[in-house]
Amino acid sequence: MVEFKDVSVTYTSGVDALNKVNLKINDGDFAFVVGPSGAGKSTLIKLILKEINATSGVVTVNGFNLSKLRRGKVPKLRRTIGVVFQDFRLIPTMTVYENIAFVLRVIDAPAKYIRSRVPYVISLVGLTEKSKAYPTELSGGEQQRVALARALVNDPKLIIADEPTGNIDPALSYEIVELLKGINECGTTILMVTHEHDIVRHFGGRIININKGVISFDEVVGGKGK
Amino acid sequence: MRLSSMRYLVGQGFKSIWKNRMMSFASFCIILVSLLMVGLSALASLNLSKIINGIEDKSEAIVVIKDGITEEEKTALTKEITLIPNVNELKFYSKEEAWKSMVEDMPKDEQDLFKYADDNPLPDTFKMTVVDIKKMSETTAQISSMKNVDSVKSPTSFTDMLISIQRVVTIISAAIIIALVLVCLIIISNTTRASVFTRRKEINIMKYVGATNTFIKIPFFIEGMIVGIIAAACALFLTQFAYEGVYKIFSTDFSLWAVLGMQNLYSFDSLFKIVAVSYAVAGALIGAIGTSISTGKHLKV
Repeated sequence: MVEFKDVSVTYTSGVDALNKVNLKINDGDFAFVVGPSGAGKSTLIKLILKEINATSGVVTVNGFNLSKLRRGKVPKLRRTIGVVFQDFRLIPTMTVYENIAFVLRVIDAPAKYIRSRVPYVISLVGLTEKSKAYPTELSGGEQQRVALARALVNDPKLIIADEPTGNIDPALSYEIVELLKGINECGTTILMVTHEHDIVRHFGGRIININKGVISFDEVVGGKGK
Repeated sequence: MRLSSMRYLVGQGFKSIWKNRMMSFASFCIILVSLLMVGLSALASLNLSKIINGIEDKSEAIVVIKDGITEEEKTALTKEITLIPNVNELKFYSKEEAWKSMVEDMPKDEQDLFKYADDNPLPDTFKMTVVDIKKMSETTAQISSMKNVDSVKSPTSFTDMLISIQRVVTIISAAIIIALVLVCLIIISNTTRASVFTRRKEINIMKYVGATNTFIKIPFFIEGMIVGIIAAACALFLTQFAYEGVYKIFSTDFSLWAVLGMQNLYSFDSLFKIVAVSYAVAGALIGAIGTSISTGKHLKV
């Protein structure tokens, strides 16, 4: 669960990125976050990951009160969140399998669990045959599926997808969102930032529109697709 | 932390040495050169102070005894001089001995001229060494004032010079060593900073998935340590090679021996353990600290 209470962020440069934002995303929700660039979408994500702190107000993520969370405990918070980036951020020197196993290794998971869990999530995104390939040998869509598997592997409560379709073919974009929908149906909360209105219109659901640091629209809209 | 994780981290350290072999090689070279410079200048300064100490030990003062004193007076004088705390060794050197050695030191054809001389003009003397050469002038003054002592000849100006040389050598070599260590640390932390920079993506991802800082640092730490230890091993080998080369020159060239007060230098075997241990510790520390400094900067995500 993500909750913002009167959250404002003012950068040291004097820019007001968010202005008294109130927002609640319940467990199991699927929400699109839309808005023009510079509206505060990235700031929202940075707050949830505690990359930055709110200037005022309270941010609560998966039971952690972020304004009271000490620096040393940040890894604990981040283990409950999976992140998918626009630019995939896969490690080029590691194979698909290693890229995903890496996540479990850094959170000190047992070797036995890694050996069974990683092939499972690779099969979920349909890349079993490519598990020994390197990221450069994959298409953009495939790379993003690897990134998705990586976000999924430690069974997070919340997945944040920051423009996950921004760097891939429109046709493959739908595939990625379908995958996210599927993950959501298994109970994971999904927060997807995008500015591709076609996708939002196609899938529908909860849409949060941020404009100039305030939420201008937050409603559930029926999708046109299917 | 789990054993399997620890094994993984150590493995990653080894792997990344090879993956980043250009950077590892650069770090290796810098640590190697630094260790060599510091090590060789430390060894040189160690030997210099041994040589100077050797010259100090060898430098003796000569106490000239008044002519015609009795055996009892001589014994009393010996006692009186040895009572001075700074006197290390006192050896009687009779006028006959002095004469004999003087004649022997002369060229063969001139020796005959002295064979038949009846009169020995040389005085009886004591040869004296002191404990602390810095108090030499004090001690000689004390002895000069004694009854039955004609005069004391001490190499005061020479010893004074030695003492000041030693002081200068110590200060200069200490300054060189400190400067070198600082330069090494700066260069190494910059080199590793570059190597960390090339891997900032990896670190960034690790941060996002909730790796603790310790977990991220360990492979870099191990990598730096291994590179440092390998560099230390090579430095040890090269140091031994260089040292033994110089040692050979000094121990075979007797004119150099004479200049250096006939004093043996330290053999490398006697220094091997201490040099090996200090190189290994210094190499591992420089490598590990250097990498830690530069990883710290990239962990604030």
